Amino acid sequence: MKPRPEPSFTSSLRAPSQVMRLARLGSFHQCRLSFMRILTRRMAREAWSFTRPIFDIDAKGVGHAVYCAHTPDRTYSLVAFAHDLPAESRSDRVIAQAWDSTFALFDGVPTKEDIARLRTNVPLQEAGRVTETELSVSRANRSVRLWEHVIARLADGRQPDLHEILKVGYLMRTTAVYGSGKLGAADREAIAARPECSAPFQIEMLSVFLTRAYVRDLVQHMAKTRGGERAVPLAPEIARRMGIGNSTGLGMAPFLLNHPTLINNWIAARETAIARVRSVPLASADEVETFRDLLARTILSVDLWRSDHPIQIEKLTDLRVDLQRLSHHVEAADLNTEAPWNRLFMWAETELCLEAQECLASLMLEPYGDLVDSLADEMSDLNPAAFRIDGTMSVAQLREILHRNYGWAMDINWAERENCARAWYVSEEKLEPRLGERFDEPIADYEQPLAPGRDAAALNDALKSWHVDAPIAAFLLAHPEHRHSVRRAQIVDRAPYAEIRDNTISADLLPIDMLRCKLAFFGATQFDPRSDRWVRICLFGNAPYPENLQESNCDDWPYPVLGETLQ
Amino acid sequence: MTHSLNEIEAQSRKAARGTGLSWGMAEEAAKATRWLESHQLPGVRLLAEVLTRNDGVAHADIAPQTLDAPWTARSGVLCPLASGAALNDCADRLATGHHIEMEDVTSPLLVVPFAAWAALHICSPVRVQWPDIRIETDGYRIWVNDPKAQVGLASKVALTCSRVSEMNQNASLPELRGRVCPTGWDILGTFAHRTYAPDTPESRRLGAGAGVSDND
Repeated sequence: MKPRPEPSFTSSLRAPSQVMRLARLGSFHQCRLSFMRILTRRMAREAWSFTRPIFDIDAKGVGHAVYCAHTPDRTYSLVAFAHDLPAESRSDRVIAQAWDSTFALFDGVPTKEDIARLRTNVPLQEAGRVTETELSVSRANRSVRLWEHVIARLADGRQPDLHEILKVGYLMRTTAVYGSGKLGAADREAIAARPECSAPFQIEMLSVFLTRAYVRDLVQHMAKTRGGERAVPLAPEIARRMGIGNSTGLGMAPFLLNHPTLINNWIAARETAIARVRSVPLASADEVETFRDLLARTILSVDLWRSDHPIQIEKLTDLRVDLQRLSHHVEAADLNTEAPWNRLFMWAETELCLEAQECLASLMLEPYGDLVDSLADEMSDLNPAAFRIDGTMSVAQLREILHRNYGWAMDINWAERENCARAWYVSEEKLEPRLGERFDEPIADYEQPLAPGRDAAALNDALKSWHVDAPIAAFLLAHPEHRHSVRRAQIVDRAPYAEIRDNTISADLLPIDMLRCKLAFFGATQFDPRSDRWVRICLFGNAPYPENLQESNCDDWPYPVLGETLQ
Repeated sequence: MTHSLNEIEAQSRKAARGTGLSWGMAEEAAKATRWLESHQLPGVRLLAEVLTRNDGVAHADIAPQTLDAPWTARSGVLCPLASGAALNDCADRLATGHHIEMEDVTSPLLVVPFAAWAALHICSPVRVQWPDIRIETDGYRIWVNDPKAQVGLASKVALTCSRVSEMNQNASLPELRGRVCPTGWDILGTFAHRTYAPDTPESRRLGAGAGVSDND
């Protein structure tokens, strides 16, 4: 490869005060650093192979299957249990007790005894128990409408209607993928040193990737069972359109607040990537062509994006308009002279809505794998000692940090009801995070520490009566109630993107903004909020199947191919 | 049956909060319990004992009264969690060769994880000792002078923490699973339960954002 010219200027990172706002985080799009794409790039680069040693499922769709992913060093196996679920038991809520299919990702190749053990536990999900040989536990439900349509068509020797496929986007949706030690599974620390696990959530993404292959095979198996000789397999171009759906509720929102260092590392990697591309002095013709092609394909993808939620409908309308404006601007703009991406981005920051700005930010990274992709190695939280409080810090130093990072919170009147109208709590009934109305429900005594702005402002007030030279260790001895906030403030001082700089308990909070941010880092597309607090998405839609990873450029799969859609 | 270390930490954090510890203290109590269990030491049992003893007791009664030596509690008995947190906050004192002394601290093994984090911070192993027991840690590994000794005692002792120049070569490494005391685990579960808000018709209606059909 030709060496890149040295940048004549270096773009700085966008400020946390600009990036870490809920409205912007809630407008993030997938990019080269999304966890699904990190995984598919690695699988293709290392030429992973895939086998299906067991597919033992009967005519009613009951049984089990094993899908193995062989890396250069080891094997991971998805153990899938297929169930015959009565329609009335089908629910996507975390509180459900039965599912169409249940899964465990096994570390290695399971023996018969392992499968027998998993069969008595995995179908129970939370009510079961797994061990350190399991890396994740998950479950999925069918899209009833699409499932029956696809089976009926295939059984009759015909392909399903592509319009129907695109309306839903998936045949099954997961309702939870548990990793990191949940239900007795192995801790992340047990696998974190493996290269294929170094980026975040790679095990969970692998589980979903293999689940997608299982779902395709299962629907073909059911069609064959029904149609016999007349049945046909799914056409590959139709199968490819189908991802795995996912319903994500409030359980995921606190994650962003409970893992400040990790979130910093995700955002910092993407912001570093954006700054590197903005610093590129000249774009080559190939790079400009890649960008223009993917912009056109993004416009197509956004056209296919459906939502019934008023907020998302409005955002989609604005995004469609602004992507057209971006497209026209790019046609006319000079991308062959000094710092083209920086100029383009500065134009977008004044002309386009947040959704379109963030879409452009992700798109600009696409031609620059050589500048961007290695940042994937910096997205995990590798410093378990980061929670330690520096007790020698002075009161004056801490107050300076608070003013620098939480000034926005000190400007809020926390005594006003609308500024603290909500409280996060965990319900006794379902042991799941919920968001309640502080002044209407008896929940304040159970509040989770998920209002860092309010708590930082209270810490700042408490510090005012302390001598500026006093060590924080002495302050904390008298005020243990501020220990949590002192820790966060010291983390944010080292990791500036660690904190959401918005009120997370206000009357107008939209939890879906928090969900969207995390799901965009997963690599999700087609966000479809179903209320202000849960969202449907699609994972691995348009991605290659295991056997196709080597066929062509498998890296730009989130962008639908022009000319293939709705013919 | 073994538990993942994340399960142990999560249960411990909720339990500590359930007995009235601040969220910040609860986080560190949970990480301390996890650290001990990763070394096959009775973190869960000791945490259950300490939380039971200090259930609802004010921090000011069981924490060091000042950071001047030696540390004592207003109630006469130091909590190992409050003392440990203060010890870690003051880790730099160990780097300069100072000892930190605690009078009448209960369940002293629970102080050791905090000393371990102090060791990581000052990049030097530290020793925690009380009558008949010497424990050394560099933050990662641990060495106990007498493997048969009852290190997991609940009674109160005078404890000293200091820097040492070298780690004992027979130190052991952490493991990735915990074998928790079932009785202690159940006690933590009871305390953890206090952090869950009882459901009301209103909370069911508003809280989870349900109400839209999941099926399509």
